[in-house]
Amino acid sequence: MNLEFDQEAEKLRDEFREFLAKNLSPDLSRKTLLGQKLTKDEHKAWQAILAEKGWLTPAWPIEYGGTGWGPLERFIWDEESALAGAPRANIPSLDLLGPVIVEFGTEAQKKELLPRILSGEDWWCQGFSEPQAGSDLASLQMKAVRDGDDYIVNGTKIWTSWAHLSNKIFCLVRTSFDGPKQAGISMLLIDMEQPGVEVNPIITIGGMHAVNETQITDVRVPVSNLLGKEGDAWTITKFMLGHERLVGAGIGPSLALMRQLKAAMERKDAGGLCPADDPVLAQRVAEVDADLLALRYTAWRVLADELSGKAPGPEVSVLKIRGGEIQQAITELLMEVSEIESLVHPFTLPDSGDEGAGIVRPEAAHMGQQYFDRRKLTIYGGSSEIQRNIIARRILKV
Amino acid sequence: MDFSFDDNQQMLHDSVDRFLTEKHDLAARAKLLNDRAAQDQLWKEMAELGWIGAAFPEEVGGYGSSPVDAMVVLERMGRHLVTAPYLMTAILCGRLLVDGLAGERREQLIGEIIAGDCRMALAAGGSHALRSPEHASFTMSDGVINGRAPVVLGGDVADKLLIAARSSGAHGDAEGISLYLVNADAAGVSRRYYRMLDGQGAAELVLEGVQISADALVGEADRAAALINKAFDHAIAGICAEAVGAMDHLVTATAEYTKTREQYGAPLAKFQVLQHRMADMYIQTEMARSMAYVASMSLDESDAKREAIMSAAKVQIGRTGKFTGYQAVQLHGGMGMAEELDIGHHYVRLTCIAQLFGGHSYHLGRFAGHTRSADALSL
Repeated sequence: MNLEFDQEAEKLRDEFREFLAKNLSPDLSRKTLLGQKLTKDEHKAWQAILAEKGWLTPAWPIEYGGTGWGPLERFIWDEESALAGAPRANIPSLDLLGPVIVEFGTEAQKKELLPRILSGEDWWCQGFSEPQAGSDLASLQMKAVRDGDDYIVNGTKIWTSWAHLSNKIFCLVRTSFDGPKQAGISMLLIDMEQPGVEVNPIITIGGMHAVNETQITDVRVPVSNLLGKEGDAWTITKFMLGHERLVGAGIGPSLALMRQLKAAMERKDAGGLCPADDPVLAQRVAEVDADLLALRYTAWRVLADELSGKAPGPEVSVLKIRGGEIQQAITELLMEVSEIESLVHPFTLPDSGDEGAGIVRPEAAHMGQQYFDRRKLTIYGGSSEIQRNIIARRILKV
Repeated sequence: MDFSFDDNQQMLHDSVDRFLTEKHDLAARAKLLNDRAAQDQLWKEMAELGWIGAAFPEEVGGYGSSPVDAMVVLERMGRHLVTAPYLMTAILCGRLLVDGLAGERREQLIGEIIAGDCRMALAAGGSHALRSPEHASFTMSDGVINGRAPVVLGGDVADKLLIAARSSGAHGDAEGISLYLVNADAAGVSRRYYRMLDGQGAAELVLEGVQISADALVGEADRAAALINKAFDHAIAGICAEAVGAMDHLVTATAEYTKTREQYGAPLAKFQVLQHRMADMYIQTEMARSMAYVASMSLDESDAKREAIMSAAKVQIGRTGKFTGYQAVQLHGGMGMAEELDIGHHYVRLTCIAQLFGGHSYHLGRFAGHTRSADALSL
């Protein structure tokens, strides 16, 4: 056992920092760290900078535009880019679909689709959950019925993140109603820019618009848009979600939030006092900070397993549960420390331009919204209840 | 000992509930947020129904037999997610006028409030708005007030403002805070409006060289901090009642939802882990209810005991409200976060309630201070 990080990898950390300091604009970094709304153009601009450097898709094999980094390097990159406030968007394309196309796609699909992801031309969203198939994903009902060289697709997907900014969607569809539920599911690649595809926004608490309901009505999809074989989607999905085993831990975002929290704790009020002077608050921050440390080292253990070639297992559930809870705890404290200003609805604030500067501090005004938005972490991608079932069944064997 | 409503309180409860069920569903509420005329009309109707008067004792022209009446109204308002500035105007500012004024002036101002002709907001405590009045961000010298506040709840619709200003001493001194009544349209007052995450209206407030009138002073000069703290305690009792109305609803609504939502071939309610979670929500709600009742019945106690009880109630309601709201969202899954259900809105409001008038740390500290050498019973 030893706790030293690989020296080469640490050197890369310095390189990452230097690159981020040089290329990430302070404005974009600030907006990202505060959780402000970014436009698609702002996302695309950052994506273009990464693509030019060749760092846009660390998870892809080098021959398709990846970096050749191992899991350790990718872990460090994720930490550093989160700490620097680099935006993370287009995750369904870059982190989910890309590696799946590489693994399961036909040569034609690889050739056509991967470059379009790298160039930012294609933004994919994920069509998995349905109104009646949430945790129980296998009971999904979106139908793809074979008709000549096409499928005719009908159904509704829900919680489609960024569908309103995407031009394509990869969907789990039912191609067979016979046999075990999982075996009748296939993955289809669907163009969203056609009649029959309708995206309806779902506004979530705090006024955020990230998710949508996407309805697909009588849309013809060529059979060549099948990813993998018919009925293979369950295996593909497992690969897709198991591929990035450390993502759920959210170490980078938590470290970034913890920095903001520490800064907010030291902010002096008119009387020269700061929240850190309050022993109750100071202890609560320390408690979460200690939890974050334990989480980070637990992630290191999973990382070490990955480096030694072990396949991802149910320990990922530990990271997902605690990772979500810790981000929630940090944002909760950030909100409390920012006091009443954190409860302001930032989207309703008038522009600071008109009558002199605004009084409400933007860095405080976004904190409540940040906290509420993070409730999703223990719901999506397999809720904490489902993750606990996995631990009970697969680790404890009960 | 009696924890039941009397006949009048039960009637008030039922009539508030009936009115809000009919006129204030989620769609109506969403419309109200952007419709000032409709907000004004609702406020008038609330006055006509006697809800505002219920917050005032009879000796100042109100209809309230005790603070429990206001609790009854606020509990139902919490259930129905009312965003009108009832707590700010009737409870908080109302209490400041009851305790800080006397005679004809008091009667006249309170009369206007009860009639629904005047809404009010309080600016106190700087960036810790709604606690610690000794941290005033306004100053008064030579008859002129200056200063600014980032968040004045209800400041968007207020006709009159109560400004806690430092009139002598240094920032943080308990002495030297005075409270002034200022017309919202007075020269030198400017406001910018926005909403809080829970839909409540608010304003940034700037006072530049605002001349105070001869009768502007509310309470004693330099000694308003205690007056304001007491009014905060009245607001805490009220907001605790509001929280209970919300929590109560979340427990019922979550149980109903899990009975109808099927996953893995069975209603969610069949999963024991979720049953236990809902049982915990119920337990927490009952703890909160107890403290909300006790808070409303302890407002006339000595300062020390009142503060200890209000802090204990605030800590309890803050923690249990957030727990219940969080679990309601969690058990509703993604739908719990969608604005089209009331679940998420209640969770947001409960979270805001946990922070308003002092959060967890502030009230734990205050409670510990009062109970360090004496238990709460002997205060």
